[in-house]
Amino acid sequence: MLIGASSAPISANTWASGRGPGAHAARILSGTATAHLHLVKVDGSRLIEVGPVSGALVGSARAELKTGAVLKGSFTITTPRGSITGHGQANPHGSGRYQSFSGWFLVSSGTGRYAHISGRAGLYGVFDVRTDALVIQTTGKFSY
Amino acid sequence: MHAAQSVRLHVAFSPQRLGHGTTVEITTEILAPPGLVPSPLTGLDIRYPSELGVAVGGLGLSTCSQPTLERLGPEGCPASSRMGQGSALAEIAVGPDILAEEADVVILRAPEQEGHLALLFYLDGGEPVRAEIIFPGLLLSGPGPTEESIDINVPLVPSLPGSPFVAVVRLHATLGPRGLIYYERRHGKFVPYRPAGVLLPNKCPHGGFRFAATFAFLDGSSSGAQAVVPCRSQPRSKRRR
Repeated sequence: MLIGASSAPISANTWASGRGPGAHAARILSGTATAHLHLVKVDGSRLIEVGPVSGALVGSARAELKTGAVLKGSFTITTPRGSITGHGQANPHGSGRYQSFSGWFLVSSGTGRYAHISGRAGLYGVFDVRTDALVIQTTGKFSY
Repeated sequence: MHAAQSVRLHVAFSPQRLGHGTTVEITTEILAPPGLVPSPLTGLDIRYPSELGVAVGGLGLSTCSQPTLERLGPEGCPASSRMGQGSALAEIAVGPDILAEEADVVILRAPEQEGHLALLFYLDGGEPVRAEIIFPGLLLSGPGPTEESIDINVPLVPSLPGSPFVAVVRLHATLGPRGLIYYERRHGKFVPYRPAGVLLPNKCPHGGFRFAATFAFLDGSSSGAQAVVPCRSQPRSKRRR
């Protein structure tokens, strides 16, 4: 399912013109990042899950999820170059022990290299109802 | 003849231990003036706090389809599709008399419908009206930001020839592990276990756990009822001195 990562800089002249010496050249981060999360805390319908991330981003992830008719959550992906925080929502599908879900992920903020990150991406995954383990993928394009 | 009806809702947790799984007991009553039968129930919407972990806690790991349930009954469904059970009391007006009938209720996880998590309610009545009734419920977000709801369409049930439809007057149902046994495969054998159930949050919300229900009737009227499961002091762990 992994598409593979690419990171291509936009022309620095096009982005920085008219914005002064502090402007930075925008980059695009596109591809798929996959997180394999395990449960660390449960509070009724709220779950906190953590685990490694691989793919377009490599590091660790932490998710705070609200389960129910719709899965809602906030996510932070931490990499050696900075962190990315966002929130998302997904509808659960299917039945049985492994429930899939699909929805969207919206980046809200970042640190380090990703201080100016923005964008919206697809959010997909599988939730193990028996163990509360989660595999989440976000796939799309962000500018930073 | 049907009459204007009033409704009641009662909810309890068994056990009520914060941070643990529980069985939610819901009792709804539909009351009519003496000698009259309430209008048949056509819809029921039960709203519950979104802090309750209904979708986690291991309930409803399998699903049972309506065709399977119609053909084989709950016994033909996977054990891990059962999510609860209970009983219903219905009244049937036959001339000047009012007959009562009890039915067993089984709640099962169904394949998702219209993109929503779904349940199936199975009612099995005996005398005087022999009927097996199956109807769906959907888990929906809202209406408020801290609520979720189970939206149930209740079908009209024909009773005896020449008599009005059956009217449900009481529904007692549990959602949770009490009375449920699931099976999982361990080391090549199927081992029974009880699912955790509906997970209670670690903290009781201010004012308790608030539930509400809206009842819709054949006569076009609707009524609402509310219930609160109050916060209880939790036993403190003893400190060593």
